[in-house]
Order: sequence, then structure tokens, then C-alpha cells
Amino acid sequence: MRYKTILFLASSVVIGGLIPLFVHGYWLHVTIIACYYAILASSWTLLAGYTGQFSFAHLALAGIGAYTSALLVLNTSIPLYLSILIGALTAALIGCLIGGLVLRLRGPYVALFTIAFSEIFRIALGAEYKFTRGNLGLEVPPLFEGTSKLPYYYTILGILVISLLIMWIILNSRYGLFFRAIRENEEAASVMGVNVVRYKMMAFVISSFFAGLAGAFYGHYVGMLTPNIMLIPQMGLIIAMSVIGGIESLAGAVTGAITVQFLSEYLREYGQLRLVLFALVLVVVLRFSQNGLVYPLYQWLFERKIRAELTKERVKVEGIRNAGGK
Amino acid sequence: MAEYLALQALNGLVIGLLYVLMATGLSLIFSVLKIVNFAHGELYMLGGFASYYLTRLLGINPFLAVSLSMLIVFLLGVIIEFLLLHPIYTGAIERKDEYAILMTFALSIFLQNLALMIFGPWTKNPSPFTSGTTTIGFLTTSNNRLIVAALAIVLILALLVTINKTFVGKGLRAVSQDRDAASIVGINPHRMNLLAFGVGAALAGGAGALIGPIFFVEPTMGTLPGIKCFVIIILGGMGSIKGSIIAGIILGEVESLGSVLLLDPTRGLAYKNAFGLLILIIILLIKPTGLFGEKYVRME
Repeated sequence: MRYKTILFLASSVVIGGLIPLFVHGYWLHVTIIACYYAILASSWTLLAGYTGQFSFAHLALAGIGAYTSALLVLNTSIPLYLSILIGALTAALIGCLIGGLVLRLRGPYVALFTIAFSEIFRIALGAEYKFTRGNLGLEVPPLFEGTSKLPYYYTILGILVISLLIMWIILNSRYGLFFRAIRENEEAASVMGVNVVRYKMMAFVISSFFAGLAGAFYGHYVGMLTPNIMLIPQMGLIIAMSVIGGIESLAGAVTGAITVQFLSEYLREYGQLRLVLFALVLVVVLRFSQNGLVYPLYQWLFERKIRAELTKERVKVEGIRNAGGK
Repeated sequence: MAEYLALQALNGLVIGLLYVLMATGLSLIFSVLKIVNFAHGELYMLGGFASYYLTRLLGINPFLAVSLSMLIVFLLGVIIEFLLLHPIYTGAIERKDEYAILMTFALSIFLQNLALMIFGPWTKNPSPFTSGTTTIGFLTTSNNRLIVAALAIVLILALLVTINKTFVGKGLRAVSQDRDAASIVGINPHRMNLLAFGVGAALAGGAGALIGPIFFVEPTMGTLPGIKCFVIIILGGMGSIKGSIIAGIILGEVESLGSVLLLDPTRGLAYKNAFGLLILIIILLIKPTGLFGEKYVRME
């Protein structure tokens, strides 16, 4: 199983590395954004799908990473890569504070608090226009010189692969079991000796760190930041990606993010209608297939073969039995 | 200054009453269905648009339009409960809390995008109830606002009487206390779910229909009031209608007076919304159950 996973990961890295040979210009940009969403969706899955903490502040944390890094570069002489790291760490710190605040609460409280935090933070950021230039947009220095998108692509691919690897290792260690134990039943987990407080905070910190990292990269890639990257419907998009892909698997979330991003670019000419359709798909998937679409599709593709063979076998056996009976 | 403060206090009261109207709907839904409706702001928005189209396109009397808008949103709420939330109570859903959060949130995104597509992103004005101003002492305010406040009070009182004095209200309270026990004594919990969600939605829609004539309506107008309702129900205590009423007025006043007292006017408008977050952080640190809340009961 482990061998298979590593093989799968290695082949995805090779395919990912070769993509710029076939994809250029605008679609390479779309691919870069897809990778950004993939990091956000997978880290949200770690928090929501695995640990059961439904946070709506994920994009606000990405925004904190982006604005911290951008303002540091603009106002101090810190090197760019360091400022990105500081952005990610700031997001992790704020994530830790949010985690600490909602620690003793459960269920809808986490969702209620984070949605309020996210929206009010966005508005306050827009109001502090002296610092952030508000809705006019903050111009952010680019990560690389020149106009080529290739270095950006390989950087975000590297971040995506490394963050997925780290999250995969965490989720497959005993910590992953603690997270799932907390999701299923906090009291039972705590009785069994899981330090609920510590691991809830840990999930918030890890997930916020990667959100902040992705956000900081995004700012330096796009070159322009507005508080609108944290709008609630944008958060809805991340959730749609995770849920459609499958909320309880990193691979599902990544697949969902890439699929939804490409579909949404492909259907761009339909404008508002595609967003309505995505939301409708999200509602229908939630209602009828809570494991998302990727895993059931996988099951259908591979288990259909097994089922067909089993049926054939049974027919043969029954045939022999019937013949013997006569 | 004192006159200005008094005027702000009056405005805070009017806005607070609309918050109360909306938040009592959210509280009613929470106490009976044990879920938080994240699409509450969008139901409010739909109420606003319903009254806009009823008054401007069909030329219906604004007072009648408010009740018709509430009826429309009531029916929508009933349909939503029947199609999307019913499976929670039949045992078809494994993780009920998560399902309810994600489903109502997805619904809010769907309704907002649908409204953007159908109604367009522009702001619109429903017909005002009346014109002119009234002066009481040194306070001058528009008659429109006074009528909105009066209608909000009437609706809140009607809700309180229905819940506390009628047979249906007794049924709602019974289901909110114990679903199984209620169904043993012959109350159909699912019918009460439909009713509570419908009435909760109608209250949000009513608030939207009332705010339209004072401000305007647009597809994204529901997001912030929706979030403020979350602040209110946490401050008042989840599921407590009395708590929602007091907390709603508190939030309206804190926002109106706080933005005048503390900050320069240009940023005050934006920071008005930050007071809600501040209240939320304080209440979560000091008393997470809110002013009148009981210990939060997990849905099983």
C-alpha cells in the first residue's frame, strides 16, 4: 500500500514537471492557480474533513499570509523568500489563536466564529486603506524577474508536493488517528488519552500554515492584492472543491480543486451561470454522495471489474451445481 | 453632540429591531431543528427582492408586499427543509452537525449566485411605506423608519404570542425540548421542523422586506446581517428567543453609538462591523453559553 502511494506520488510529480511542455501562456497561469487552490483545499480538508473543525476562515488566513508578506517586502528590506515564510508563520499564529479561542466549543460554534472573523477581518482590512490601499489593490513585488511563468509554476508545484507530503505523513502517523478520533467523538477520544486541546490546536496550526504559505505565494505571483480574495463565495469555492473531490482524503481534495478550477476556466464564457451550477453541484453532492465524487468514481471503475468477475465465477459455479443436481 | 447621540441611539434601535427580527428566526430554527442556518442572510436578501418586485413591478401596496414577501420566503423555507434538511432526522446522514453546516452554507452560496444571475448586481429600491418626517422634541426622523420599527415590533410580539400562548407554539417548544418525548404525546416532529424552518425563514425575509425601503436591496446584502445574527445568537445564548431580542438591541446600539464615539467618521462606518467581532471574542472567552443560553446540547 505504501509502495503504491509512493509510486503514485512520484508519477504525479513527473507528470506535473512535464506539464509546461504541453501547456503554455494562459493555461499555464490557470494551472498555477489550480495548484494554489489545491493547497488551500487539501489543507482545509485536513482541518475540516479529518479533524471535524469546520473553519470558514481559511481564505482569511491565506489573506493574512499574503498581506503580511507583501507589507514586509514593501516596508522593510527583508528578502522575499523570508517574508513568505514569515507570512506563513503569521497565519499559523493567528490560526493557533483562533483554535485556542474555539477550543472548548464544538459543532456550529467553530463555523460561526470563523465566518464572522473572516468577513469582519476582510472589511477591516479594506478600511485600513492607508496601509493596505483597501479595495484599490496593493501592488506586490513579483517573486521572480521577467515575464516567464515557468519559475512560478515549478515553485508552486514544489510547494504543493511538499505540503501534500508533509500532510500525508502527519495524517498517516498516530496524529492522523488522533485527529480522526477528535472528529468522531471528542469525549471518547479524550477518555482514550488523546490530548484533545493539543491536537485541535495542532490541526489549526498546520492547516493555517499551509494556507498562509499558499496565500503569500499567490500575492507575489499575481502582483496585486485586494481584500476581495477573502470573500465568502470564494471560501465557498474552496469548500466546493474539497467536498466534490471528497472531504476525507487529501487526494480527493486536490483532484476536486484541479477539476473545478479547469472546468470553471473552460466554462468562463457562461459567466455567472457556472457559479450557480457549481453551487448546485455542491448541494446535490452533499445531499446524495457525502464522500464526494472521486472515491465513488474510483470504486465504480475498479470494483466494477471485480464485481463482474465475481458474477461470472458465481454463474459458473451455479452452472456446475445445477448440472450436478440434474 | 447630545442630539446627535440621541439620533444615533434611535437609528441603532431601528436597526437593532431588524436584527432582532432576523435573529429570533435563526434562534427558532436552532431551538427546534438543532442546526444553525448559514443561509439565513440569503433568505433575508430574498425577502428584500420579493418586496422590491412586488411593489415596483406589480405595484402592490408596500404593507401588503411585506406580508406577501414573508409568505414567499416561508414557502421557500418549507421546501428547503423538506428537500435538503429532512434526511438529518430520518437517520440517513451519519454526521448531522457537519452535514447541516455544509448544506446550509452551500445553499447560501447557491442562492447568492442565483440572485446575482437573475437580479443583476445593481442596487434597487423598493417603494417606501410613506414619506415625510416626524419631530419629537429635538429628534427628527423619517416616518419611514418609524413605520419599519413599529412593524418589526408587531412581528416580534406576534411571534412571542404564538410561541408562548398557542397550541402550535406549545408543540414547537415541546419538540425543542425533546423530540422523542414530543412524538410520544402525538406531536409530529417533522411537521414542527417544517413549521419552524418556514417561520424562521419568513422572519428573515420580513426583515429584508422591511430594510429595503430604508436602504436598498442587492444580492450580497445578506452576508453581513447574516453574520451579525450569528453574533447575536451567541451573545444571547443559542436557541434562546428572549436572549436574541436583548442581544439584537445591544448589538444595534453598540454599532450605532460605538462608531460615533470611538473613531473618525470615514473609518467608523467600516469599523461598525468590527464591534460584532469584538463582542463575539469577549463572549467566547468569558461566557460561551451567552447571556441566556443553556449548555449547548449536541444533536444526536
